Amino acid sequence: MMAEAALRGAAAGGIALAVGGGPLGVLLVARRMSLSGDALSHGILAGAAAAFLIAGPNPWALTPGALAAALVVSSAASLLARSRRLPEDAAFAVIYLSALALAVVLLTHRAGPEALEGLLFGTAGALDRSGLYLAGGAADVTLIALALFARGFIAESLDPGYLTAGPHAAAGLNLLLMMLVALNLVAGFRAFGALMTVGLMMIPAAAARFWARSYGGQAIAAIGLSAASSIIGLVIAARLDLEPGAVMTLCAAVLFAISGLFGPQGGAVSALHRRGRLAARPRLS
Amino acid sequence: MIGVEFHQLVLGYGGLAAVDGITGAFAAGRCTVIVGPNGSGKSTLLKAIAGRIQPLAGAVRLEGVSPGRIAYLPQDSGVDRAFPITVADFVALGAARGLGLFRGLGAADRTAVAEAIEATGLGGLTRRPIGELSGGQFQRALFARTMAENAPVILLDEPFTAQDSRTEADLIQIIGRWRDEQRTMVIVLHDLALARALGDEALVMARGCLAWGPTADVLTPDHLRRAQDACGRLPMDDAA
Repeated sequence: MMAEAALRGAAAGGIALAVGGGPLGVLLVARRMSLSGDALSHGILAGAAAAFLIAGPNPWALTPGALAAALVVSSAASLLARSRRLPEDAAFAVIYLSALALAVVLLTHRAGPEALEGLLFGTAGALDRSGLYLAGGAADVTLIALALFARGFIAESLDPGYLTAGPHAAAGLNLLLMMLVALNLVAGFRAFGALMTVGLMMIPAAAARFWARSYGGQAIAAIGLSAASSIIGLVIAARLDLEPGAVMTLCAAVLFAISGLFGPQGGAVSALHRRGRLAARPRLS
Repeated sequence: MIGVEFHQLVLGYGGLAAVDGITGAFAAGRCTVIVGPNGSGKSTLLKAIAGRIQPLAGAVRLEGVSPGRIAYLPQDSGVDRAFPITVADFVALGAARGLGLFRGLGAADRTAVAEAIEATGLGGLTRRPIGELSGGQFQRALFARTMAENAPVILLDEPFTAQDSRTEADLIQIIGRWRDEQRTMVIVLHDLALARALGDEALVMARGCLAWGPTADVLTPDHLRRAQDACGRLPMDDAA
């Protein structure tokens, strides 16, 4: 069972990840770039695997390695997508599958399957003081960048090329968005695993669509849902001695299902309700 | 003085010329309508002037207006209507376009946005997400956003396609207002009656300029037939 201090640290990390990752996830969902998070996380996996081979399971090597790999992947994905020879989702698929294969080869060949498992699923006890600073810092940087560039991010998602004069500004905004995603994923991956961290970013963001109409409303909903998934998931994982990252992501999935059913914006039950009310209205004929 | 000129402009996609050497200037402060068969290069010319595509040869010369101050409403707006944004915020992006990425909207900008929303008849829908608008309402929102740009040059590509007559009438009124404000307008139209009503000048295109001048002199059956012949047997949407 997880020690209480570790549990508390992991919860704080989960909340930080929710604050940074929630608004980013909503933006990615709105831009139809949900796969980009996967591409980055697999890149992170490969980068961390390479760092692992060089320096062993040393957190001071894993984080820069992961960050460097994420930067490479995000630049590559941006370039591939900008070249217009491939749809964006195809570019992401190519990159993340290649990165995953590379990570598996690197880790299982040299380090054994336990190392791979650690990177895939995380170790919730890994959030020591420095890890928490990184998670908190990532959330701060994300919020500041979103506040500064909100107009650009929203306009580029809504109507590419409308607000930004010339292709360079648009490419810059895109790269910045990818780097913010990378930063948040790197901050979360040692505790919750490279793949599960994406789940905590994307699933609450998708669920937020059922709760609010505006970007701001959805961002707040995503933060709340993601933080709730983390805390509930951590408690359950600690009680039942399960992988925290996976349980947290499952909690996010359950909250997604609840949102899809009962959310006021197009949730199945509220939609049925509205249809019933319309049908009960007297007709003109 | 506003000037939009181009010289020996060659435009196209992937090296194939859709417009092969067109030279001219749009009359400042007036409304020019562009007509021609499908594939005659009307939309391509507008895109080049808006700076959305680079010419294969030749150049567009702007005087007294920067590329960012040209309002352009393409035929297919490219707006992702699933994006979570309300009508009010969507229209406000028009005012923001002149301000760049960071500068905030001032009181005058907010007034302009509110006016644009009223003028397009969207007053009751400001808080509605754009994804929930009908086709006509969304076209009004696009006009409102264009109006909020307060641009000296306005390019409209088939702005009335698939609009009901009420929407069309209201949007024509807005074009009339822009004309009174002496904005330089270029409108691609396929409805020739409308082109005659709106255009001070007309340009008949057939992968280049076939005729250009005062609307009454240019929109003749002879020119339109020749445009059609020059573009092959592509159907003209509306025979003269």
